[in-house]
Amino acid sequence: MDEMKKVYIQEANELLDNLESSLLSLEENPNDKSNIEQVFRVMHTLKGNSSMFGLVKIAEFVHDLETIYDKIRQGEMQLSEAILNTTLLSLDHLNRIIIDSELEEEINKENHSKLIDEIHSFIEVGSSEKINSNVSDNSEALDSELTSEGTKTYHVYFEPSSTIFLDGSNPLLLIAELTALGKSVIVPHFKAIHHLDKFNPIHCYTYWDVYLESACEKTDILDVFVFVEGNSTIEISEFAYTDLLSNQSFLDVTTGSIYKDLKTDITAIKLLAESIGVSSKEKAESKVEVSNSKLQSKKSETKEKALTSIRVASDKLDELMNLVSELVTTQASLSLFKEKHETPELEVISENIEKLSRRLRDIAFGMTLVPVNNMFSRFQRLVRDVSMSLGKEVDFITEGGETELDKSIIETLTDPIMHIIRNSLDHGLELPSVRESQDKTRKGTVKLKAFYSGVFVFIQIIDDGKGIDVDVIREKAISKGLMKEEDELTDKEIFDFIFNAGFSTATVVTDISGRGVGMDVVKRNITDLKGVVSVDSQVNVGTTLTIKLPLSLSIIDGLLVDIQGVNYIIPLSVVNKCYEVDNSDMVKNFNRLLVLDEMQVPFINMREEFGYAKLDFKGKSQLIVVSDGENEVGITVDYIVDEYQAVVKPIGKYYRNQDFVSGATILGDGSIALVLDTHKIVELYTEHIKMELK
Amino acid sequence: MAKKILVVDDSESIRTVIGIALKNEDYEVVFGEDGQHGLELLQENEDVCLIVSDLNMPRMDGISFLKEVRTLEKFKYLPFLILTTESQESKKNEAKNLGATGWIIKPFVKEKLLAVIKKVIR
Amino acid sequence: MKVEKTNYEKKGETKSFLSFRLAEEHFTIPVMKIMEILEVPKITKIPQSPNFLVGVINLRGAVLPVIDTRIKFGMSPIEYTINTCILVLSIELDGETIIVGSLVDSVSEVFELSDEMIKPTPTIATRYRADYIQGMIQEDDHFMMVLNIDKVFSTLDLESISESKDAKVTEE
Repeated sequence: MDEMKKVYIQEANELLDNLESSLLSLEENPNDKSNIEQVFRVMHTLKGNSSMFGLVKIAEFVHDLETIYDKIRQGEMQLSEAILNTTLLSLDHLNRIIIDSELEEEINKENHSKLIDEIHSFIEVGSSEKINSNVSDNSEALDSELTSEGTKTYHVYFEPSSTIFLDGSNPLLLIAELTALGKSVIVPHFKAIHHLDKFNPIHCYTYWDVYLESACEKTDILDVFVFVEGNSTIEISEFAYTDLLSNQSFLDVTTGSIYKDLKTDITAIKLLAESIGVSSKEKAESKVEVSNSKLQSKKSETKEKALTSIRVASDKLDELMNLVSELVTTQASLSLFKEKHETPELEVISENIEKLSRRLRDIAFGMTLVPVNNMFSRFQRLVRDVSMSLGKEVDFITEGGETELDKSIIETLTDPIMHIIRNSLDHGLELPSVRESQDKTRKGTVKLKAFYSGVFVFIQIIDDGKGIDVDVIREKAISKGLMKEEDELTDKEIFDFIFNAGFSTATVVTDISGRGVGMDVVKRNITDLKGVVSVDSQVNVGTTLTIKLPLSLSIIDGLLVDIQGVNYIIPLSVVNKCYEVDNSDMVKNFNRLLVLDEMQVPFINMREEFGYAKLDFKGKSQLIVVSDGENEVGITVDYIVDEYQAVVKPIGKYYRNQDFVSGATILGDGSIALVLDTHKIVELYTEHIKMELK
Repeated sequence: MAKKILVVDDSESIRTVIGIALKNEDYEVVFGEDGQHGLELLQENEDVCLIVSDLNMPRMDGISFLKEVRTLEKFKYLPFLILTTESQESKKNEAKNLGATGWIIKPFVKEKLLAVIKKVIR
Repeated sequence: MKVEKTNYEKKGETKSFLSFRLAEEHFTIPVMKIMEILEVPKITKIPQSPNFLVGVINLRGAVLPVIDTRIKFGMSPIEYTINTCILVLSIELDGETIIVGSLVDSVSEVFELSDEMIKPTPTIATRYRADYIQGMIQEDDHFMMVLNIDKVFSTLDLESISESKDAKVTEE
């Protein structure tokens, strides 16, 4: 059952997420009928699932919630802010009790009864419910003079409507079910069967009398026919007698009506039964004839939710990825082989395989990419709750939600970004009154933006609040000994101090943010993803925080190069141009600039950087000019081997602190090539230059 | 020869639970996620001898699914059970009028499910 | 790799341990932690990494970091001989399970140990950090240190394991 409970929990979580989005949309557009329908439908499903798993407390709780929304969609109640708030709190509660379904934790018990009270108060206010008992059950309660433990004999008359087959019912199965209740005599009547020329094979012409001896109750018999009540005639009468079926004369009379035109005369049979001489208490005939109820053909509009996705277990996905990676690697070996053994057919086959595996890898790796929207929508709720509690009015805008990121990266980013948003709301945005006094709009804006640029993904959190005063930061940094008064640093560098541990400039540590432990953790989370984070701000205008992440390093098209016999890969997407240069030009070069194509290109001698043997003065090197989106730098290598489709594998935590290599790949011959982190290299180069200028 | 049942419900939890109950009774089960999917599966599995379908589903709900099935020659008289909740009285009747054979009320225990199924297929 | 199995007298539940040699000293770790034992292939060095990180190797398509365990223990760097091998270990690091290769001079044998057989390390005795050593066992006339391998490889920094350089090991 544990496995099943996991399925339930996973689905419940999705349902609750779905509910939350719908409710937040409803808040914006309270009259959107489709949203209300959606809310109702999802609650209904959740209730159904919960009761299937025996989670009664959850099912009842959801049922009460559902009642509110049912009334709202029927027009009996109006959605109010209070109802919405309670519902959102209820969702939070449900999130917790999905796991603690028996309310074992104190806090859950308390919240549960509190919320139920609130929900009920809403229902009562809007309630004009009357309990209608439409049940007009003609069957009288069985008289207790009957020996209820004894078996009784029933007579059941069953005349299905001629169209009974049309809904898939099979009267024979029902007869079988009926007679399984005890001993029986079945009397079929074929009188109504027409001559062949008028015979409609999809119609039913047979009807039955069944005499049943059983200890069961009348309700049990009614139960057999529950589905066909509407289109059959069913009469059940109960004789208080037992043993009728073993009485020959009774049998004769009853079975005698087979093949005859006669409808069974109950009265006659009863008299017979009487005369057979058992106690004469007769039960009321119950004619159960349920006519077709009025059709309420309210066509339920099914909202077209594009079912464009299916759920896949993530370990299946992992395995797929691994296999695709292996395929790409093996295909590289094939290419290598092809080079060595030039055969025309092999050439063609190898090329085809290369094309196919390239496509396969693009699709497979695309699967782990998920639009950041998933993450963004989670923040809607956060913004709403936090802004309300702070008394601030906020417009929360998202842009570029369709930008895709690796799922695991999104998961790692969620917490840091939440912290940043909290900061914006708490410290960035001013109170509405303050904003107005500054001729700003009452509502502040927090914008979450995502986009690609080059080989990076950018995520920005932009607010139009009071901004950060760079001079304040500067002062603080100086007082903390992080810089000296006379140091000339750019604003960007000064803002970077914000990411130092313990650097909060908040004077009051609020509940929401500001303990100063936040930003350094944020930065660490992002650098763990091999990304960078930076801040830009202007007083009274606003603050922008930018996260720059390298795109999922799974498979990249790269340039395979050789430096001192060691293979490296440079991602093609960052490469601008390649030149061949004389080593002599580089060795004598003091300002690290080469003139190429009439342009000054700064360069890095990678051999030197890597601590390899010095360049052969007379030889040549290849200079590969790479860009990090802003700056260009040339990287020197011994020679360029080939273009290579590299399956990038992580090199692990041990190498977290080094800068040049961001991953490794296995070449066709089994050896390892290291993937260069050109972004870092360019950054370091700029450091170099600065140091040398000093 | 195992009897094949088509179970259509958008809730994975429900599908899992029903699947287990039926497979233990040696029924062969095919699963659909909504009416549209159910129709596709019917085309591929013409030997289905019973459909069990939820009502509330996205894309194509149970009632629409039922209506569609009843227009198809091969499945006009195929036993069709709907899964419904107590609060959906009117739905039961609506479904019945549109040709559903019967219903199962959620929540249900395994025994009930099997008993109802026995009413409509051998 | 040939590995011999010896049976010590068992008391209570025992686990299997493998012993290996670094320079002149013997250490032992639970077999459970060892995924496989490899001969030393070509190791690709990653530039600008601390010297205890020898580099990475290709282990059936996965990139495995290899550590010079001798440097970790404050000894001189490994000298490759035909007996040198890599223990592929599964260790817990920051709450994750990671695979790492550990270069050792040779492996000796597998034997059974129960908890009772592991004696506490005499405090002044070892020149290695206390939390790296789970205890010691005595085999004939020499001592073997039972390593807490998760701790050994958890320090990512260059710090070697020597704690007190002056303390002497009381082993004969």
